[in-house]
Amino acid sequence: MRRKAVVLTAVALVMSLTAGCGSLQSSATEVGGERMTDDRPVRDGGTLTVALNADPDKLDPTLAQTLVGRTVFAGMCEKLYDIDEHGTVIPQLARGLPKTSKDGRTVTFALRKGLKFSDGTRLDAAAAVTSLLRHRDLAGSARATELAPLARVEATGTYTVKLTLKQAYVPLTAVLADRSGMVMSPTALKKYGKNFTNHPSCVGPFKYVERVGGDRIVLAKDPNYYAADRVHLDKVIYKPIPDGNVRLANLRSGDIQVGDQMTPVDVRSALTEPGLQLFNSPSLGYQGIGLNVGNVKGLGEKPGRIDTPLAREPKVREAFELAIDRELINKVVFQGMYEPACGPVSPESAIAPGVKASACPKRDVAKARRLLDEAGVKTPVRIELKVSTTPEHSRLGQVLQAMTKEAGFAVTLRPTEYATMLEETDSGDYDAFTSGWSGRLDPDGNIASFLQTRGAMNAYGLSDPAIDRLVERGRSEADPDERARIYEELTELATERRGLVYLYRQKNYVVTRKDVAGVRVYGDGLVRVTAAGYTR
Amino acid sequence: MTSYLLTRIRQSLITLVLVSMVVFAGIRALPGDPALALAGEERSPKALAAIRESYGLDDNIVVQYGRFIGHAVTGDLGTSSRTGLPVADAITAALPITLELAALSLLLAVTLGIGAGIVAAVRRGKPEEWLANALALLGLSVPTFWLGIVLVLGFAIALPVFSASGYVPFTTDPLDNLRRMVLPSIVLGSGLAAVVMRQTRAAMLDSLSADYVRTARAKGLSRREVIGGHALRNSLVTVVTVLGLQLGHLISGAVVTEQIFVLPGFGKLTIDAVFTRDYATLQGVVLCTSAAYILINLLVDVAYSVIDPRIRLGGAR
Repeated sequence: MRRKAVVLTAVALVMSLTAGCGSLQSSATEVGGERMTDDRPVRDGGTLTVALNADPDKLDPTLAQTLVGRTVFAGMCEKLYDIDEHGTVIPQLARGLPKTSKDGRTVTFALRKGLKFSDGTRLDAAAAVTSLLRHRDLAGSARATELAPLARVEATGTYTVKLTLKQAYVPLTAVLADRSGMVMSPTALKKYGKNFTNHPSCVGPFKYVERVGGDRIVLAKDPNYYAADRVHLDKVIYKPIPDGNVRLANLRSGDIQVGDQMTPVDVRSALTEPGLQLFNSPSLGYQGIGLNVGNVKGLGEKPGRIDTPLAREPKVREAFELAIDRELINKVVFQGMYEPACGPVSPESAIAPGVKASACPKRDVAKARRLLDEAGVKTPVRIELKVSTTPEHSRLGQVLQAMTKEAGFAVTLRPTEYATMLEETDSGDYDAFTSGWSGRLDPDGNIASFLQTRGAMNAYGLSDPAIDRLVERGRSEADPDERARIYEELTELATERRGLVYLYRQKNYVVTRKDVAGVRVYGDGLVRVTAAGYTR
Repeated sequence: MTSYLLTRIRQSLITLVLVSMVVFAGIRALPGDPALALAGEERSPKALAAIRESYGLDDNIVVQYGRFIGHAVTGDLGTSSRTGLPVADAITAALPITLELAALSLLLAVTLGIGAGIVAAVRRGKPEEWLANALALLGLSVPTFWLGIVLVLGFAIALPVFSASGYVPFTTDPLDNLRRMVLPSIVLGSGLAAVVMRQTRAAMLDSLSADYVRTARAKGLSRREVIGGHALRNSLVTVVTVLGLQLGHLISGAVVTEQIFVLPGFGKLTIDAVFTRDYATLQGVVLCTSAAYILINLLVDVAYSVIDPRIRLGGAR
């Protein structure tokens, strides 16, 4: 009898294991078109658990740095402006779009009336002024650079705010649609100071309850929220689960209901699961290969001359790019689920659409070889490429290695962990590295810091007066058509200089369980849960 | 016994201080600037300088160490540079989870390992020994991550008996706590069970062929008394040694297990701290782990001297 029980248990175990593995292996299902919302009616109540791919940093809009942190803020801290599914800026805490003076140096906006922070404090112009000044001036503020053009911030009425700028700064509205536009409760700021991070209080559908480091951030429905009657969930829990496999396993078991930032491989697996559904939106960011063309002394220092064929000869960089097939990279490495890219501005950006992905140069190995000949360099041209330690990036590295080999390059891969990579590339200790950016709504946020001479994130050591001039013009040009032309010219110039070879644009893939509706996934990559709930 | 204990405690404290120094220097020798790791995507020289100043990263390493130790003796391990939460709170929250995981895994390893070891030794050459050896080999060779994912697929998704992730304190809901802890304990305990089984088997085989066992048998003692009272008791010294050494591995092995089952324990805290160069958390975590290692070694030594008083005499000589 006992032996029979053992055999039966073994059979059950094997069957259950193969059943689980079987559905993981299938990858025949296709990813459909873009899907950012699900408007099925939902019932009130319930807790939603959202799995993030990393633990957010400080929950203080002034000091926060991470993309996952922005997702948590989307649940509890509304901004002066927001974006909709088309990437268009819309008012959120502000009553309407800002009014800009003719010379572009005075910006005024009005706040909505009758709004309360989660701690009960009223939202007024004085609160907005306090927050904006804190974002600009607090030591260590991550918002300081983007708000540096603000000369003066003042309340001109109970609900009206006037901003005086040092120079015309068109990206300001987009900046106020991100963390710089988050208004914090002045009462909480006064009470907690720098410890606001452990007691955040904003205007939002959910309010902060608790945070257990590395485990969870818990938010509960805020009765003070102006549209509380349209919020359905009682609680939202954000849980960091860095491993994609584990995130997927938890979605399948029902322990979590929303999985953020899913990789193409995991999305393929998720599609075979009847209980799960997929949201996807094109990203505003980009991924590529950064090339060291002049970073000799470190970030923010004067660029110098680097004596490698890649840095010295623009033709060698062009040959490197021509050896690459972006379509194939997308197919082989990312299951065809991302978009090839060859410029800093997403074609999806509602502000200055930039150059379309179809304008990418086709792979041309013969021309690449010819260019290397013309440049008179000794082949193979040796390049060390630092790649992030993720499986995707090591596959990307291997594919690049194989492609460029045919044209006369010998790429060696050096897998480097994130913090080390930042230190080495910022100090100029590299030939090439995988470089990416999560993207900003305004093209300026994708270009200025990276391509301007001595820009805060110009690890490539790029220095070109023409690019610098165009960046300045792009910031101050109010006419949208003219602005689009400027960014098109900037994109062409950036492509020509090749401090960064743009390769692909990620998509934001979010997988949820099917009984969850109302989740919104827009181009800024954030998961919005204000209207989310369980289906009726 | 008291003087032996005092000597061992004094030695342990000196070790702890030395370890704290090595740890402090070692963490700072890691490549990757913590200010950069913290600033991440949006780094500007001004923000970096402010971060360095606010966490005292510009100070001399000796000054930093002095500040750390000064605060640590009062129980203040600083605040996490990443989350802004107190490190002591993070450790207090994480520690019980890892300890529970380690305790359950140990229980599993001891029960299965010693049981299977005895059976393998007593039933030498029989199918039972073969089965026990095969299981031990499997336990030693299966990678933790793979076993974890397979168990989740099998027992949390296909047959939803257990939970795939998360932690609920035993005091809040004992049943839910066990539902979440069983799979991780199996994953973490399986390797140790295999080691314990092999050690028990070897030690039992030695004991069973020893003279005193033959004498015991000749005296007409029952099989149970011979195996349990004589052979096993003598074999346990070796097994306890191995367990002591492996306990440390349990805590470090928890790193992977906690990642798979999303348990917010010590391992997860450590990994997160390493990747974000969160010096304060990392120092606190490593210091506490070292203290735990040292304490376990101390307890093992004491356990020796209780099981076999000759060891105490040797140590006190």
